[in-house]
Order: sequence, then structure tokens, then C-alpha cells
Amino acid sequence: MISLESSIIRFKDVFKKYYPENVVFSGIDLEIEKGEFVFLTGPSGIGKSTMLRILFCAEHPTSGEIWVDGVALSSLSSAQVPYLRRKIGVIFQDFKLLSNRTIFDNVALSLEVIGLGKKQAEQRVMQVLEGVGLKGKMNQYPLRLSGGEQQRVAIARAVVNRPSIILADEPTGNLDLQRTEEVMMLMEELNARGATIIFATHDERLFENTHRRVLRFLNGKIRT
Amino acid sequence: MSLAILCRRAFFDLRQNFFGQLITTMVVSLSILIFAFFTLLYFNLQDFVDRFGTELGLTIFLTKEVPKDQIPYLYQKLTDLPEVEKVTYISSEEAFRRLEHFLKEEKDVLEGVDPEFLPPSFEVQINRAVFQLDRIKQLAGEIDKWPGVSKVQFGQEWIDRLHVFSGLVRTIVAIIGILLMFTAAFVVTNTIKLNVYARKEELEIMRLVGATNMFIQGPFLVEAFLQGLLGSSLALGIVFAGYSFLQGFETKFELLRGMNICFIPWHYTVAIIASSVLLCVTGTALVMRRFLRL
Repeated sequence: MISLESSIIRFKDVFKKYYPENVVFSGIDLEIEKGEFVFLTGPSGIGKSTMLRILFCAEHPTSGEIWVDGVALSSLSSAQVPYLRRKIGVIFQDFKLLSNRTIFDNVALSLEVIGLGKKQAEQRVMQVLEGVGLKGKMNQYPLRLSGGEQQRVAIARAVVNRPSIILADEPTGNLDLQRTEEVMMLMEELNARGATIIFATHDERLFENTHRRVLRFLNGKIRT
Repeated sequence: MSLAILCRRAFFDLRQNFFGQLITTMVVSLSILIFAFFTLLYFNLQDFVDRFGTELGLTIFLTKEVPKDQIPYLYQKLTDLPEVEKVTYISSEEAFRRLEHFLKEEKDVLEGVDPEFLPPSFEVQINRAVFQLDRIKQLAGEIDKWPGVSKVQFGQEWIDRLHVFSGLVRTIVAIIGILLMFTAAFVVTNTIKLNVYARKEELEIMRLVGATNMFIQGPFLVEAFLQGLLGSSLALGIVFAGYSFLQGFETKFELLRGMNICFIPWHYTVAIIASSVLLCVTGTALVMRRFLRL
């Protein structure tokens, strides 16, 4: 049983409906502990991405309440949303990198946004790029990199401002087995450093031999 | 976000999206160019009507019986009027000479006619700075009642017609101007919208990493300010070049001589630039507001 004090994410009776009758969540109750690494799984279109989008306030639930790091999302004004997002790093299947900016600039964007000094930002970006093994390619543009490398850039961008939560939406969906393993190792490493990770995937092989909690979507509910 | 960071980001974006920015600036420039052309037309028409009114002036005919010693008194009285720029006395003899000159070869018809049969008069030139048709009409009525004055004549009919015509043209120009302004606002806003939508992905990523709306909007607003400023300045520059070109022709061609083409008054020029900047900045803010809505 997870105690309320240690939970970083909490869903209470959350419903999400799309017009007219598409029910995605029908009363979800869920708690995720600080520092936990959970897999979110289920067939495509079941609501994994919707759950992540709700967590970083790109969408709102139809009813119910969600707390992220102790903050009730329904109490947030639109001006407060960016500050919540700075606590969350998001990684997408399609990377979402800016093709007209270098790898360095793509990663530095997260720090530019929070107004970190140029020198400090430079140091932090170099450190993170070294961590994902892309320091040597920092002046290249995303389209010159392989899919695995682009995903590592996206991970670097998501973690460079040291968020306490990382949401990964099918981050290995476009990668081959070797690149998938690299990404999984990076995620394990980030989790070991204390980040809470919610990893959405429909690929069951990723959590077959793991002790991690697996949340399965079924008929608008979550089964652990 | 400091102003330095804001400007650095704006100039980075300008370099990155140079073509899009150029198109928007050109659209602003073209819209303002058409508007400025009509404004120039309006002011020249206004100026022409004013000048025409003053050039017609007043002719004050005196009675034949007016005592000679009263003429300097009337002259002084006219000169003292604030609306009057210059007064010229035309004696009966001078009027007769002018008539002879006018008749040229047919001046023989005046043979035996006493020059005194023509009344003496004053030709009054109106001060351009204080010219107002209604005031001149009123003044003519007042002078007409002065002792020794038989008739006051001025090109009232002409001025009236000209005023009706110029009023009509002014209304048409004003309507076209307003329509153009709305068209310009529509075109500029849509061009801005296209520009913003072309960078939709970039904005979404910025929002994703926690950028505040001000952080995202800031560079767009600086860009819009520059587009408005440069676009309108360029348009007014082109209109000014056209004006200077026509001014050069004024001295060469008889038809244009004396037209005294004038440029848009400086405070209107400033207003056009300010409106253009306001239009671009407001348009961008509205598009961004819609785009950044949660």
C-alpha cells in the first residue's frame, strides 16, 4: 500500500469522455510513489497518451481530481501551468525536436525557458549530452541523426532541467531493439537518480522480466 | 525575461524565419502604400481647394461718388482685417487700362468713353492661414454694408462648387481609406496567422518544456513591432519618392506648374507608422492569444 505522503501523482475518481460517447477513463483511482518507475500499457488508442497529456495539462479530465507533486490540477490557473510543466519532463515517440536548431540548442531550450544563466546552461547541457553519449554531435541538426540518437536528444531535453517526474509516451516505438535497450538503460539510470518515471508502451517485452509495477488499461479502468 | 534575452530571441527568430518575416513585412508595406497613396491624394485635394479659395480673393467695387479722401481710410480698414493678406487699389483709370488691354485689337469700341465710367475697386487677397469659406462669405456681407462700397464680388459660386466636389471626393477617399484599413488589418492578421501556424510545432514544444505565454509571445511581438515599423516606413518612403519625382516634373511641365503638390503632414505620417505598428502588434497578440489558449 502506498502512503499518501509519498505519492507524487494521485488520481481520484477520474473520468474522461470525448464527445459524444467515447469514454476513455471511467473512474480511475491511482497513486504513484515518488521515485517509482511504472509501466503504463494497453492496446493502441486505449488512453495511455491521454493520461500523460492530462498529467502535463495538455488536456483536462471530464471529472475527478488529479494531484501532481501535491498540487491539485483543477486549482491551477493557465498562468501556473508552465511552472508545473517545468517539474515534468516529457518524451515522445516522434521526438518533437526542432529541426532548425542544433542538438545543443534543442536541449538548451528547456533551460532558456526557466531563465538559467548562459554559462550555467551551457555546463548543464554539455553534462547531459555527455550522459546520453551525444556530446560530439551537439552542433549537428536533428535530421542528421539516427532515430535512436534523436530519441536520446529528446531524453536529454526532458531531463536537463532536472524534473522530478518523467513521462515517456512510447519512447521506443520507432526504435530497433538495440536502440530500445539503450533508451531503457537511460531511463533506469534516471530513475536510479530519483526521478519518477511513467513509461507508456504497448510493447510487453519491455517489462516482461521486470519487478516494476505495470498499470494495464482495460475498459476505462486501470488494473495493476 | 530580460529585454536583452527577448531581443536576442527575436533576432534569432528573424534570421531563422527570414522569408516568412519578409512576406509579412511586404504585405504590411503594400497595404500601407495603398493607404498612404490615398492619404496623399486627400491632402493634395484639400490643399488645392484651400489655395484656390485664397487665390480667387475678393473684389470690392466702390460707388462712383465715393470721396477721394475716404479711399485711404477704406484701404486701411481692409488692411487691418486679420483675414486679409494684401489689398490693391484699382482706380477707374487703372480699370479702364485693364479693360483696354483685355479687349486688345477691339479696344476701339471704348473710344470716346470716359474712363470714369468704371467704378474704382479694391482687390483683396485672403490670408491662406486663416482661410475659411464661411468666414469669407460673412466678411463679404459685412464689407458690402460699408459706406462707399457698391458691391463685393468673389468666386463664391466657384468655391461652392469646388467645395461640393472636394467634399464628395473627400468622402470617397475616406470610405476607400477605411475599407483599405480593414482590408490591410485582415490581410496582415492572416499573414501573421500563417506565420504563427508555420511555427506551430516550435510553439508546442516551447509550451511543453514550460515556457510561459510571455516567453513565447515576446519575440513574436518584437517581430511584429519591427514588421509594422519597417513595412510602413518603406511604404511612406516609396510615396515620398513618388512625391519628390512629381515635384521634379512640376517645374518641367506647364500642366503641373503651380499645382504645388504637398506631402502628407508629418503628424499624419507618424500616425500612419504608429497605426501600422499597433495593427501588427495587436494582430499578433490576438493570434497568439488564440493559439496559446490552454
